[in-house]
Amino acid sequence: MKQTPMQDRLAEALGSLHDTIDRLSELSQRGYQNPYESVEWPAAVCPEDDWFSSPELLSLYGTPYFDRLDEPTRRRLAFHEAANFFSLNIHGEKSLMEGLAARLYRKDLLGVARYLHHFLDEENKHSIYFGGFCTRYAKIYRSRNLKFEAVPERNLDDFLFFTKTLIFEEVVDHYNRLQAKDVRLHSIARFINHNHHVEETRHLAFGRRLVAALWTACSPDWDDGVRSDLRGYLEQFIATSWREYYNPDVYADAGLPDPWQLAEDAWASPAQREHRRVASRKCIGFLISTGVLEGTPADVF
Amino acid sequence: MSSDGAATARTALREWILTKNRDLDQRQLADDTPLFAQRYLRSVHLPELILLVERLRGQPVDVSDLTAGHFRDIHTIVDLFITGTNDSEST
Repeated sequence: MKQTPMQDRLAEALGSLHDTIDRLSELSQRGYQNPYESVEWPAAVCPEDDWFSSPELLSLYGTPYFDRLDEPTRRRLAFHEAANFFSLNIHGEKSLMEGLAARLYRKDLLGVARYLHHFLDEENKHSIYFGGFCTRYAKIYRSRNLKFEAVPERNLDDFLFFTKTLIFEEVVDHYNRLQAKDVRLHSIARFINHNHHVEETRHLAFGRRLVAALWTACSPDWDDGVRSDLRGYLEQFIATSWREYYNPDVYADAGLPDPWQLAEDAWASPAQREHRRVASRKCIGFLISTGVLEGTPADVF
Repeated sequence: MSSDGAATARTALREWILTKNRDLDQRQLADDTPLFAQRYLRSVHLPELILLVERLRGQPVDVSDLTAGHFRDIHTIVDLFITGTNDSEST
């Protein structure tokens, strides 16, 4: 059967990723690790004695609420926020692994299969670390994500899948990068953040190339209605991803009163809006420069 | 939950849905407007919507068995999660 112009463009765009795939795959092979030997888990941790998240990255930082907390409560909040951050990663990586496995060795994506194997393997290992922390010392916080709709047509589904992955990983990496080098953090928290950052750097390099390639190949066939719809969807995905950092369940576990109102007030505070803007800057800049987004999502910042 | 509480919840839900649909004329949004069928909301809105519902009722929502039908329209959401007059949350 003759290929459509979109399929031709997609094949050409994916072909242009060849060198990137080879380079990233070699780096993954060289850095291959055993998650059961790479870390020694302490028997127990003390949430009120050590920092498990950088205080400046906490969801209440810069709000009047944070100023009123004493030091042990700030550390306790930092511990539960670390568990929430790792839980968000577990939920995100579950969907990611599902999507990667579904696309592995698909005929039109054969050119990237070699790297999809590493991507899938590394995401599974990250979840072992995140789950290791949450199940040993805290808990896995629930996700409020649900999916009801039918899957869209394949090219659009691929584009949304890899773009959502990129958005999620860009925000996570902002936290990983800063917390990996924060010497105030407990060594286990620093290790998990550092390890994730090193591997996510490769995933992000792959993701940016792939998202740009998919957009170039597929978007000429999408009319204004489809483009506007996908932009609205991605803007809401950015808002949703950020909302989960302001988790009332965390505030309740940290012993703070009226956790839902606290989440709402923290979300709306000027300091946190600015934090989200700074942490999302690279990602939003990339999406605007490729033409995927036309501007900064109003609801988030 | 009092009728005042239900009215407050309806207003809060309405305002939130309108912020997510800035082109939507508020006169077109009734309590029985089908939110998902009309695509005013999609699954990607649910984490935010569930957080709002939890704040309005002051307790968590068990998300394990929820379907799109539980969020069909403002009326259903208020009945189901706020006033508790609809027992399908547990079904």
